[in-house]
Parts: sequence; C-alpha cells; structure tokens
Amino acid sequence: MEPSNDVALDIIITNVVAVFRTRCHLNLRTIALEGVNVIYKPEYGKVLMKLRKPRITASIWSSGKIICTGATSEDEAKQGARRLARTLQKLGFKVRFSEFKVVNVLAVCSMPFAIRLIDFTKNNRPIASYEPELHPAATYRIKTLKATVQVFSTGIICSIQITGITKFL
Amino acid sequence: MSSRVCKNCGGTDIDVDQARGDAVCVGCGSVLEDNIIVSEVQFMETGGGGSSAVGQFVAGDASGRNPTFGEGLYTGVGRESRAQTLQNGRRQINTLGHQLQLNQHCLDTAFNFYKMAVCKRLTRGRRVAHVVAACLYLVCRTEGTPHMLLDLSDLLQVNVYVLGRTFLVLARELCINAPAIDPCLYIPRFAHMLEFGEKNHEVSMTALRLLQRMKRDWMHTGRRPSGLCGAALLVAARMHEFRRTIKEIISVVKVCEATLRKRLNEFEDTPTSQLTIEEFMKVDLDQECDPPSFIAGQRKKRMKLLEEELEKKIDDVQGEIHEYQDEIEMELEQSRPKLRGMYASCAKPGPQEEEDDEISLPDGEEREDEELKAVAQHLNKELCDQVISGEEDGEGQEERPPRRGPSLASLLGPMPTAASLGLPESISKCIGEEKENDEDAENGELDLSGIDDDEIELYLLNDKEVKIKTELWLKQNEDYLKEQKEKEERIAKEKELGIYKDKKPKTSKKRAPIHASTADEAIEKMLEQKKISTKINYDILKELNVKPCASPARQTAESPKGATPGAQRLTGRYRKSTNVPLSLGTPLSSLGKRLRPFISGHPPKKLALDQIAIPLPVASEVSPHSVLVESGPVVYDDVADEEEEDEEEPCVSAMELLGGNEYGCDDDDGF
Repeated sequence: MEPSNDVALDIIITNVVAVFRTRCHLNLRTIALEGVNVIYKPEYGKVLMKLRKPRITASIWSSGKIICTGATSEDEAKQGARRLARTLQKLGFKVRFSEFKVVNVLAVCSMPFAIRLIDFTKNNRPIASYEPELHPAATYRIKTLKATVQVFSTGIICSIQITGITKFL
Repeated sequence: MSSRVCKNCGGTDIDVDQARGDAVCVGCGSVLEDNIIVSEVQFMETGGGGSSAVGQFVAGDASGRNPTFGEGLYTGVGRESRAQTLQNGRRQINTLGHQLQLNQHCLDTAFNFYKMAVCKRLTRGRRVAHVVAACLYLVCRTEGTPHMLLDLSDLLQVNVYVLGRTFLVLARELCINAPAIDPCLYIPRFAHMLEFGEKNHEVSMTALRLLQRMKRDWMHTGRRPSGLCGAALLVAARMHEFRRTIKEIISVVKVCEATLRKRLNEFEDTPTSQLTIEEFMKVDLDQECDPPSFIAGQRKKRMKLLEEELEKKIDDVQGEIHEYQDEIEMELEQSRPKLRGMYASCAKPGPQEEEDDEISLPDGEEREDEELKAVAQHLNKELCDQVISGEEDGEGQEERPPRRGPSLASLLGPMPTAASLGLPESISKCIGEEKENDEDAENGELDLSGIDDDEIELYLLNDKEVKIKTELWLKQNEDYLKEQKEKEERIAKEKELGIYKDKKPKTSKKRAPIHASTADEAIEKMLEQKKISTKINYDILKELNVKPCASPARQTAESPKGATPGAQRLTGRYRKSTNVPLSLGTPLSSLGKRLRPFISGHPPKKLALDQIAIPLPVASEVSPHSVLVESGPVVYDDVADEEEEDEEEPCVSAMELLGGNEYGCDDDDGF
C-alpha cells in the first residue's frame, strides 16, 4: 500500500516519544513545588510536567531520566525536551542535555474502505494476529522495521514504530 | 559378549549363569565374574496382583545424576528439575482442565504444548499458572470448544489481558495458528445456561441466523463475540416468547449492560430489524451495512461539515451586521451634536482602525483573525447599542463617545498584542531550529538557541506562589504523607520490639459519640444520623424499651417483616444484659461475631429464636429491667472493636441463655 497512489492518503503523525538524560540527580519535590504545570505522583516516584508551547508531557524521575510524550513531530520533541531542560536549569539543577533519543513514533492513516479482519489475519498468518476478546484491532508486526501496525475494521490504520530502547529505568 | 579367556588356565569355555550372575571357567573352575550387571527389564508384583517393571525413566537430556542404588524406593524425590517442572505443570493442567470439563485428549494436548513451552524457555519469568492457562486456552481454540479466556481468568482470578498477553506470546513462539473465534460456537453453551427447555434448539437456530445477519452487517469485527451472542440470544428469546431480562443474560454472557444495549441499538439501525419475525426466518436481505463505528465516523464528518457551513453563514451575517453598523454609526455621527475640544479627538473611529491593523497579522493566522474580528464587532455592536440607548435617553452624550474610544482599545488591546507576541517567537523558533548543532548533544551542553528565557520564566513560580503551592500540595497529599510517616514509625517500632506483625491498618469510620441520657434519646439521635432499614417500624422499637412485657407479641409481629431487625433487637437486648453499652438500634456490623450466625440468614433458626424469646423474657426478668437502666452515655463500637468486645465480656452471654450449642455458633470463648 503506497500512499502516493490515485487517492492521496494522509499519514498523520500523532505522537512522538523521546527520552533524554540530565546527568544529574533531580529533587522531585522542588520541581513539584516550584513548577507551574506539575503533577507529583509519589507512589510512582515521578513528576509529570506539561508544557504548552510544544504541547508535551514529560515524566521526570529523580535519577535524571526524562521521557517526553505528546509531540507531533521529532523536531518538536527535541525542542520541547530542550525547553524542559532549560526550565530545570532555571530551577537550580546542573542540567546537561545528553543522550536525546526518539523512541517511539505513532502515525495514523485512514483508508476509505472497511477491512475484513478475519480474512486479513488468515492471509497473513504468522505476522498478523487478531484476538477480538482482547483488542478490537488486528496487530501486524513487521520485524525488519521493528514496527507494529494496528488495523481496525473501520479502515483506520495505526502504526507504532519503536526505534530504540524502551526499558531504561 | 565375546568369549573371554580365563586368566588362570587360558581356556575359552566360560559358563555364564544368569540366575546367580557369575561367569565361571569350566576348565579350572575359577570365578571370573561375580554379580554380573545385566541390561534386562525386571518385573515385580504390585499390590493389586499385577506386575510392573522395576526402574525409573531417565530422560535423554537428563543432568546425569545417578539414581541411588537400591535405596531409591520412594519415587518423586531426588528427581531432576525438568521432570519436576513437567510433573507440576501436568498436575496444574489436570486441575484446571477438570474445572473446565475438558476431556483427556485435550488435557494431553495441553500438556504437550506445555512441554514445548518449557523447552523453548517460555516459562521463565512467567507464572506457571499463566502458562498453564494459556496452554489450555490454546487447546480450546484449536479444538473449538466454547471456552472463553474470561472463564480461565475467572478461575485463576487473573486479569484477562495478562492472560491474553501470555497466550499471544505462546501462540507466536509455538507457531500455532489458532483459528479465529466464531461467536456461533458460544450459542449452544449460553442457550443451555439460559434454560429454554424444549425450545432450546429452535432458539439456538434463530440466534444463529441473527448472528449470521450481524456478521454480514459488519457488526462483529472488532467486537467481543460474547457480546454479540448475548444480543442475538436476547432477541431470539423474545422472538420465541421467552422472558429473559438483560440482567440474566449479562450474568451468563459476562458483558456489561451498556455493551448489550449498544449492540441492540446497532442492530436496530440495520434494515433487518424492520422485518417481522416470519419474514426474517424466510427472507435474507442482500444489502450489507457498514460497520457501526464507520457510520459514527461518517456522522462526525457530516457534523463538521455542517459546522463549517454554519460558520460561513455566520460570517455572511456578520458582514451584513457590519454594514448596518456602519450605516448606524454614520447616522449617529450626523445626528450627534458636534464635540469640542479634547473630546473631538477621542470621538474619532481611530482606535478601531488601529485594532484592525493589529489584527491583520503578518503570518496570516486566519482563524484567530476571524475570531478577533467577530469579537471586536460584537463588542462594537454592544457599545453601539449602548450609545443608541444613550441617545434615546438623552443622557451624558458627551461622556459616551470618549468612553467608547478607550474602552474598546483597552478591551481589544490585550488580545491582539498577545497574539502578536506569540508569533514572532514561533518564527524565530522555526528559524532557530535550523541552526542546531548535533555536537552539543554529545557534550551535554544545552543548546539554548530558539528558547526564549522569558517564556520559560513563566513556567516557574515566584517565592510567594511557591509558598502557596507548598501549602496546597501538603494539604492535598496530607493523607499520603501521614501514611508514610506512620508506616515508617511502625516499622521502626516493630524492629525495636522484634515483632513484625504486618497488620494492615483498617480505615475505621469514626462517628461522633452520641450523648444521651436515656435509651430513647439515644435511639432517636442515632436514627437521625443513620437510617438502617425502611422495613423497621422505628416507633415500635422505641416502645420496646418502655413496655418490655408487651413487646414479645410485637416482636413476633415484627419478625416476619424483617428477620434481621428481629435478631438485631433480640441480640441487642441480650447484649445489654452483658453490660456492654449498646442501644437496641445497634447497627448489625458492630455486633460480635458470635452473634453473627443469628443474623446470617437462617430463617427457621430465627423463628426458633423468636419462639424462645417469648418465654424467656418472663423467665429472665432481670434482663429487661436492666435494659431500662442506662448507666451512661451510649457509645457506638466500631467494627474494629468487635474482637475487644468478645474478650471483655466476663459474664453470662446470650449464647448460654439460649443454649447456644444448638445454633452451631462458635464456642471459642467457652465461658
């Protein structure tokens, strides 16, 4: 399926997840008390900080590792991450912006037709799997690209691509 | 066994006696071998008279630990790990399988899957129960039995998605293609559970037809098959005049009411729902519907289009209003008396034009433009109306125009200016990004290009705000912080004492103690606080205290009303005799566990209680009288205190009065 066919299909990137490290220990309570849009979750040990300009939400751990979610493009993610680091710098932490990595990109595309999931799964046996009891979409895993594609019966196709390490805590 | 040469005489003739296990040279008679080890199978007699082979099975890939000679009479001990794992797995599969009523063939297949999983190391890092359940579900799917993943998760009390994940991993690794679930498989099972009697087969057939119709109408992709089955069965039942409520179906099918209703609504939208029952059985409509979520999506798109059209129309209307406004303004100007001096400058429609200029921003964000324009015009209109009314009133005309000028500016001032602030920033941002250096990232230095410090200052609070926020946050999270402190203290204490009870702190509902001088007052106050039951006639409850002798008659009248209040009253009364300060209207939960069995719902026993109660008040006249005498304020005991109550009671208990053994209550205390 190529997007540049007769009908122009828009592939819209809806979410970009990136991680980076500040290389210094962060005091979550200080951040929670002095930041404007901050939610402190003590039971999970992290602080959620939401920025408005690039609309992103960042989860900040005390070890200095930060996950940035909600950006709509990779550049935006980097921009937001840098802003965040600057904010933390202003709070008084010796922040260094290192190891920025885009970890996950989520894109959505809409087909103008509906899809028969059961037949689709049968034809793509080991690659695709469909479990209606668990999830309404069929999951199609492309190992070479390390991507997972979720196919819904309404014609919406949602692709999650994982480029790097996700488990880093 | 090649013939060996005798060491002594050199003769080759050697006699091997299997029975005694020796090899003897015939020539010289020297024994060459004693206790020969043979590789034969030996049999021994078992208890029932049969015979079994002696020995253990050792797997080819065993670890090589030699089984003990002659001492390993008891099996199962000292086996290597793999065999134990498999044996454990087999046992669990059998237990779970029997609960699901799977036949032996299925269980064996499941065990094979489990063996494969163990070989492929899929059991590492996963609970054995999960892997076992996944194996069983795999078998169910391949065999086509009507078992749902939900059933398994019910049995194991595990989240169904966790099981699902394990199942998917297993299916993928073992390369087993489980066929997709067909909701038709579940129909016989659910129909049986719904008990349609003789018409079971017909209802099932109808439900199957409905399901096929649903499939063609694209209702079944992406949906739980059990939900569809539920809807189909509901309609089929109604068609055959069976009254099956939604609640009954939910309990069988295990979906929630909202889902079922939604499926029914979706089916209603299809053209098939318009057919009568006979028509449905005969005719099958050809046209197929689109999936419901697709339809919902289309509806949304249509709504969007409508909204856009409306907006356009509003724009047109706005344009018209603007024209009228201009005309009105011109008229006003002409009719208004000329202003002198400083007011003249203010009366100019200058600020408006300036604002228009400001509004038309360089980058042309049209949406904002329109909004701002609309707002400006709306405000304009309002002020114009004011001016007009001012004109009609004929008051302070001179004041209005100057007020009009600055007020508009002040109102509209901040909005465009904020917008104009934001844009240059984003522009510089876009330009700034191109200048980024990748080398900075390696150094760890923060590249500040494109980041406006002023804006970031906005993200930080100043000192005062920090203080306020600290207070708020501490207040908000007080409970959590308290809990943490208490936990730490507890752990520290327990460490000192050396006891670590690990009791969970119960959150007890603390009610304010009611101070009352008599039982009546206490009852009244308590009832104000908490209404226990609508079935109790509280007035008569109050009278109980006053007239103890007449009350048993009322008690028997009361008991058919509600068994629990009866027991409650009785037990409350007898509790009084044990000097525990409880009023008659004591909530059930605060009564001791000894008396719970009375309340737990055994009607015949309760009637017996009531019957005994009638003669008893005559016999034990002391107790009713002691009821009247109230020693002090009535205090309510919480649930947490019930254990304390049990231990505190030294004197004769209600149990003994009633001859408690008959009622099967626990006699732990053994007073």
